[in-house]
Amino acid sequence: MSNHPEGRAGQGSLRCMAVLLLCIVMSSTGLAQDAAQNAGQNAGQEDGWDDDGWGDDWDGENSAGLVWTGFLEGGVGSRWKSDPQVGRKGTLQDLRVRAKTEWVGDSLSAGFIGELLLDGIADEVDVEIRDLTLSFSPTDRLDTKLGRQVLTWGTGDLLFLNDLFPKDWVSFFAGRDDEYLKAPSNTARLTFYGGLANIDFAWTPDFEPDTYLTGERFSFFSPAAGDLVAPDPPLNGIEPDGGFGNGEFAVRVFRTIRGVEYALYGYRGFFKQPTALTPERQPTFSRMTAFGGSVRRSWGPGLINSEFAQYISRDDRNGTNPLIPNSQLRFLLGYEWELMTNLTAGVQYYLEWTRDYSELVANSPFPQFEPDQYRHLVTTRLSYRAWQDKLVATIFVFYSPSDSDYYLLPKLTYRYSDQWSFTAGLNLFGGRKIQTFFGQFEDNGNVYARVRYHY
Amino acid sequence: MLRMIFRPGSLAVLCLVAAGNLAAEPTGDADSIVRSSNLAAYYAGQDGRAEARMIIRDAQGREQRRQFTILRQDVEEGGDQKFLVVFSRPSDVRGTAYLVDKHVGRDDDRWLYLPGLDLVKRISAGDKRTSFVGAHYFYEDVSGRGITEDSHELVETTDRYFILKHLPKKAAEVEFSSYVTWIDRATFLPMKIEYTNSSGNVYRRVEVLETEEVQGYPTVTRSRVQDLASGGETTIEFRFVAYDIGMPDAVFTERSLRNPPQRWLKRPGKD
Repeated sequence: MSNHPEGRAGQGSLRCMAVLLLCIVMSSTGLAQDAAQNAGQNAGQEDGWDDDGWGDDWDGENSAGLVWTGFLEGGVGSRWKSDPQVGRKGTLQDLRVRAKTEWVGDSLSAGFIGELLLDGIADEVDVEIRDLTLSFSPTDRLDTKLGRQVLTWGTGDLLFLNDLFPKDWVSFFAGRDDEYLKAPSNTARLTFYGGLANIDFAWTPDFEPDTYLTGERFSFFSPAAGDLVAPDPPLNGIEPDGGFGNGEFAVRVFRTIRGVEYALYGYRGFFKQPTALTPERQPTFSRMTAFGGSVRRSWGPGLINSEFAQYISRDDRNGTNPLIPNSQLRFLLGYEWELMTNLTAGVQYYLEWTRDYSELVANSPFPQFEPDQYRHLVTTRLSYRAWQDKLVATIFVFYSPSDSDYYLLPKLTYRYSDQWSFTAGLNLFGGRKIQTFFGQFEDNGNVYARVRYHY
Repeated sequence: MLRMIFRPGSLAVLCLVAAGNLAAEPTGDADSIVRSSNLAAYYAGQDGRAEARMIIRDAQGREQRRQFTILRQDVEEGGDQKFLVVFSRPSDVRGTAYLVDKHVGRDDDRWLYLPGLDLVKRISAGDKRTSFVGAHYFYEDVSGRGITEDSHELVETTDRYFILKHLPKKAAEVEFSSYVTWIDRATFLPMKIEYTNSSGNVYRRVEVLETEEVQGYPTVTRSRVQDLASGGETTIEFRFVAYDIGMPDAVFTERSLRNPPQRWLKRPGKD
């Protein structure tokens, strides 16, 4: 996250203009090229199987040397009107270049994904390494992957119970590609494939929090202020000191038996967002241990999944400390099926049950703003694919009957060619109260569009 | 490159296929022709690997491409099978992997690995007759349609082909009302399949354009599917085909999605 002070809107919009201009130039020249290429292919070669069409012959893939791939992407996004707290309309002004390669040896392989991001909202240039890993298998049954990497497990769709690897909610709310919801961490991952079960172990020596809302791009509710805020300087949670005991340890034991996927999970680390306060009332991350389990299988025409996680707030085991979040039980039940050809539907029920609730309310300085003991959430996904999957229309809805709030994410992706793709979508939040999970983001609703060129 | 190593296993399979052919020939029984054809098209050898390229062309002539390596293992001849497909191109699908546990008599188990998210996504069984990675081929064309899902009738025997008509047993689950296959009498490979919709029109055609004999198995090396309604088509070409390479069961597990088995994906004879 950027720590840049805000209020450089002038420069920001200049950057935005530049990004837009570049996108337009990129797309017009590129599209013309594509059209010419296609026309040439159709005229010149009947079947299009000329190796020239691939840029090389069959051997190219296996030839020596690194294969570099990646993309250029421009993205813009904006609120309908300026957010009074944040003081601007813009939510996304990205120009991004990705370079990706891998090297595969006989017993060792290495991966790299690096990005250069011109971020017009944060008004900075970022170099982000999403993958820098060494992979090897010391024994037949053990895979090791060391370095900066993205990790995912669990069964939820945009709901994470036992997946306590870092998320980037700012990118998600701003309409960046779904891939950016998963943030990388510096982790040693060991996976053991045993006869009885497989065991995944991920050790992140330095705690890697979520990329949380800071007030720079999006406002949020502050119980202390009793209102929506966008702090300046941005919110900056105090992270735990280094040291072995302050690292994150995540484990998964998993096995598939006759198409039924079973998994048990454990985690020892911290709440991933700065939801605790230091005695000096500074936001910080309190210690947390989690354990849980999940099952996924096909059932009827679709897939059913269920998952639970028990979060134990190690710094506030009995729930009486108002500065530290309480323990929680989280539960998920989901079903996904093909409603009709090319139309897939998914529904999920999700529960957050805050333990020691009476202690929480009794000790809270702001009991009126505390969430309900049971937060119920229902999600629906409808996904429609057309034109040989070139067009994908998705609508994802979060709705909480207990909080009376919602989050709607309609999105349209058009893959024009193997090189060009276009995405546009909305992030719509709303609710009856400003203190609920989605209700607080009502002023952050935005529309975005992205253009990507793959090379 | 293709060293002709005859192993006892592959010989046995060859004999099995031949026996099937002989059994089918005199009776002309539709079910046994379909069984032999299924074996010839999907069960050559105990296992196999191939590199594949697809050109997906829409009605406007615009093209997209896919390149991947496909590994297959038979659990039971004519029965359950496992497939692993690892994509290398284009760049946005590079590293994407698709794993199928194909079951006869019940739904397949299928997983897709998305490397950008490190996500192992399970795919529901329902949508088997939808586009395979944007191509005009369906997922079901890749791993084969269960032969008990349709009823079969031999409508004509020509010099070269058995011509069969197939009717789905569960019509509501498929988009066709019937299809006709032209099965080569010598190789038992289905050389042409035409799908007819409820208004009686042929709207989809799959054709074999080239075959080659690989390690004694007649093998499709080039095939095309046409969507006659929209005008789009996909051509697929297979190269570096090898059978009976002796892959262990572990190749076809979740492990291979995250960590593709280079030893078996690598082109044979290349070190």
